[in-house]
Amino acid sequence: MKWTLLAVLAVVALVLSVVLGPAAVPLGELLRSDIVWNLRAPRALLAFLVGGSLGVAGAALQALVRNPLADPFLLGLSGGAGLGAVLAIALHLSGPWALPIAAFIGALAALGLVYRLGLIGGASLDPRILLLGGVAIGAFAAAITTAIVSLADAAELRNAFLWLWGGLSGASWDSVLLVALYAPIPLVVLMAASRPLDLLALGEESATYLGADVERVKRRVYLAASLLTAAAVAVSGVIGFVGLVVPHIARLTWGHRHRSLLPAAFLGGGALLAFADTLARTVVAPRELPVGVVTALIGVPVFALLLRRWTIA
Amino acid sequence: MLRRLLFAVLLVVGCRPSDRPTVRPSRIVSLLPSFTELLFAIGAGDRVVGRTQWCDYPPAALSIPSVGDGLPPNIEAVAARKPDLVVLYNAGPNVTAAKQLERIGIRTVLLDLNRLEDLGPAARTLGRLTGLEQQAESLARAMDSLTSTNLHQPPPTSTVAFIVWDNPPIIIGHGSYLDQLATQAGARNVFGDVTAPSAQVSLETIVARDPQWIAVLSDSAVPPAFAKRREWRAVRAVREGHFLLLPGSLFGRPGPRSGQAIQQLRMRLQRDGVGAQHAAPLHQTSR
Amino acid sequence: MILQLQDARYRYPGASGDALNAVSISVGPGQFHAVLGPNGSGKTTLVRVALGALIPAAGTAQVDGRAAHLWPRQELARVLGVVPQREDNLFPQRVRETVLLGRYPHLSLWGRERAEDHDAVDRALRSCDVAHLADRWLWTLSGGEYQRVRVARALAQEPKLLVLDEPGMSLDLKHEMGLFELVLGLVRGQGLGVLMITHDLNLAARFADSLLLLEGGRPVAAGAPNDVLTQQIVETVFSWPVAMQTVDGRPQMIPLRQTKESRA
Repeated sequence: MKWTLLAVLAVVALVLSVVLGPAAVPLGELLRSDIVWNLRAPRALLAFLVGGSLGVAGAALQALVRNPLADPFLLGLSGGAGLGAVLAIALHLSGPWALPIAAFIGALAALGLVYRLGLIGGASLDPRILLLGGVAIGAFAAAITTAIVSLADAAELRNAFLWLWGGLSGASWDSVLLVALYAPIPLVVLMAASRPLDLLALGEESATYLGADVERVKRRVYLAASLLTAAAVAVSGVIGFVGLVVPHIARLTWGHRHRSLLPAAFLGGGALLAFADTLARTVVAPRELPVGVVTALIGVPVFALLLRRWTIA
Repeated sequence: MLRRLLFAVLLVVGCRPSDRPTVRPSRIVSLLPSFTELLFAIGAGDRVVGRTQWCDYPPAALSIPSVGDGLPPNIEAVAARKPDLVVLYNAGPNVTAAKQLERIGIRTVLLDLNRLEDLGPAARTLGRLTGLEQQAESLARAMDSLTSTNLHQPPPTSTVAFIVWDNPPIIIGHGSYLDQLATQAGARNVFGDVTAPSAQVSLETIVARDPQWIAVLSDSAVPPAFAKRREWRAVRAVREGHFLLLPGSLFGRPGPRSGQAIQQLRMRLQRDGVGAQHAAPLHQTSR
Repeated sequence: MILQLQDARYRYPGASGDALNAVSISVGPGQFHAVLGPNGSGKTTLVRVALGALIPAAGTAQVDGRAAHLWPRQELARVLGVVPQREDNLFPQRVRETVLLGRYPHLSLWGRERAEDHDAVDRALRSCDVAHLADRWLWTLSGGEYQRVRVARALAQEPKLLVLDEPGMSLDLKHEMGLFELVLGLVRGQGLGVLMITHDLNLAARFADSLLLLEGGRPVAAGAPNDVLTQQIVETVFSWPVAMQTVDGRPQMIPLRQTKESRA
C-alpha cells in the first residue's frame, strides 16, 4: 500500500514538473511543445535522478557514519566541487561541459583527501574521522575558493556561487543520459550493501560477528555514496537537505531495513526534488529561486516535525 | 575683547577643512572607470593622479598609475597618491572606504551611477568640484538628452534579452541601465517587467518570450560558450545565432560614451532587423 | 571440538608485553567453558583471537579444524554466535527485527527472508523466554530482557557454539541468575557449546563445566571448578583474601574484609 502511494507521489511530482512552469503551455499543446520536450522533461527527470541519488547516498551515509545528522555534503565534496568550478572559471576554461567536469574532478579530489584521512588510524576506515575530515577539507576548499574569488575577476566568479547554490537550469537530455548511465552502478553497490548496513547499525564489532565484512562494506559504501554525490554536485550544484531529511522521512514508514529503505529514499528524494524544482520555477515567475533554497525551506519545517517525533518515539 | 573672541570662534568653526575647500582639487583619484571618463571628458584629465586597473578609457588614462582593482578600494594605495579628492561609486564597501579616507584627512565624494539619469548629475557634481562647470554643463545636457522623453521615438522594432550568466540563467531587468540602452536603441527588453536590475529566470521563460536577440557583454567575436549547450538551443535566437556581442568597455557601464553605445546598438538592430537573414557584419554570427 | 586455541600468543601493536601467552582452550558441543581473570588478564583478547579477529603470533586458533582468521565472515557466523560486551544500537528497533538480524548469515545477497528464517527467530525467542516481548521496542526493555534478546539473536544464527563476553555485567541478581540458567539450559537442552567470559567467579563455578583462569595473559589454572577455584589460587591471582565454601558441589568464594591488622 505504502509503495503504491510512494509511486503515485513520484509520478505526480514528475507530471507536475512537466505540466507546470513559468511559460504558460496549454494542456492541449503539451505533447507538441518544444519547451516541454527539450526543457521541462529532461529537467524533471534530472531532478528525479539527482534527488533520488542524494536520498540514497544520505541514507547509506547515515548508516555508515552512524550519525542521523549526516548529509552527503558533509564529506567535503561540495567544497571540492566549488573549488573545481571556480578554478575552471578563473582559468577561462571553455567548452559547455567545462564547469561540470571541473566540479566533478574537484569533488573527487576532496573525496580522495578525506578517504586518506579516514585511513589515518591504519587499514580500517574510521567513520568519525570521515565526518571530521570531510568538514575540514570542505572548509579548506571553501577558503581557497574565497581567496581565488577575491583575487580574480570578481563579477563572473560571484555568479559561480549562484551555480553552487543548486540549480537544475543546466538540465538537458545530455545530462540526463549521463546521469542515467552513471548512477546505476553506485546505486546497485549501495543496494547490495543493504544487509551489511543493517548490521552496521549495531556497531562494527557486532556487525562482524553477524557475518558482515565490515571493512569492505565501509569502503564500498563510502565510495559509492561519494561518487553519487559528486555527480549530483557536478550536474546541479549543492542541493541541501534532500540527503538529510528524506532518509528520516522514509524511515518513519519503512523502518530501518535498508533493503526497503534505500528504494524508498530514492523515490522519495526524487519526488521531493522534482516538486521543489517546480516550486522554484513557478512561485516567483518569471524569476526563479535557487532550488537549494526551496529544499531548505521545505526541509527545515519537515525536519523540525521529525525531531518532535523522534523525541516521542 | 569679547567681539574678537567671538570672531575667532566663528572663524575656527566656520572654516572646517572638510567643509569648504578654498583650493580646487588638483590631485584626484577616481575609483570607477566611468568617473575617470567623465573627468577626462570635462577637461580634468590632467588632474587625475590615480585610477583603478579597470579604467582604460580614454587611452591617456592608461598612463595614470593604478591603485588596484578598487573592489574594495585599497586605502593605502589610494593615500600613497596623495590625493586631495577621491571619487567613489556610492555602494556598500566604498562607503566604508570613504569613511576611512576621511578619517585620514582625504576628501571624498560618493556618487550614484546606476542608470543613465545619474550621468548628468554626476557630471555636474564633478564640474562643480573641479571648477569646470561650463564644460561639465554641456556634457551633462548631452547626457540628460539620452533619457529625455522623446516624442519622436518610434515604437521598438526588435526584442532583446540580456544574458549575464547562463547557469543559472541571469537576465537584466528594468532596473538596470542596460535596459535603458536597449529602450533608447529601439529594442524592447523582454524582461522589462522584472523590476530588479538583474534576476535569475528559468530557461523556459526565455524560450517562451522568444527574444529576437540575445545580448551579452563580451569582448570576443565568437558566440558565448553556452550557445553550444543543448538546453540553450531551445531558444530561437541561440539556434539562429542572433547574438549581440557588446564590448564591455563601451557597454559595460554608464558613461560619457553611452550615447555612442546607444547609436551603435540602434544601427546594429536596424541593419540586422527582422527579415535580414544574410547579413554578416561585425559581432554578429549566423549559423 | 568446535573452537580450539592451542598455545596462542598475541601482542597488541606498540604494547610492552604479551596480551596472551601460551593459552589453550577447546570447547566442544554440550560444553560450558568460562574464562576468568582480573582486569587486563587477556580475556577479551582471547575471544578476539579465537574468533579470528586477531591473528596469533604463535600457536593456533581454529574453528571446526580450520584457522579462525581464514573463515569467511558469513560462514563463521553460521557456526559461532557471539554476544559482545557492548552494543550500540543506532536506530530504534523492535525485538523481532533485531533478532531477525541474526538470520543474516543464512541469507543470500538478494534473497528475501524465508519461512524457515522466521521459524528460527520464533524458536530463538522462545528458547530465551522473550517471545512475549517480540513486538516491543528495544529501548522499553529492562537490562535483563535486553540481554536475553541479544542471546536470542545469537541463537537465531543457529550456531554450534555461543560466545558471550561478560553477559552478566550490569544485570541485577535475578536477571544474572536467569541468564546463566538460560545458557546452561541451551547447553544441556540443545547441545550448544558455550564459551563465556565473566568476572563473576561464583556463578561461573556454579554453572560452567570447565574454567580457565588467566593472569597477565597467561593461564594460571584450567579444568573443573573445584580444581581451579582453590583458596590459594584465588588469593594469589586476585590479591585478596577469601574464604571458600561449597554450594551444590561447586566452590564458592567469599571475599574477606581487610582490616588494618590483616593487611600487616
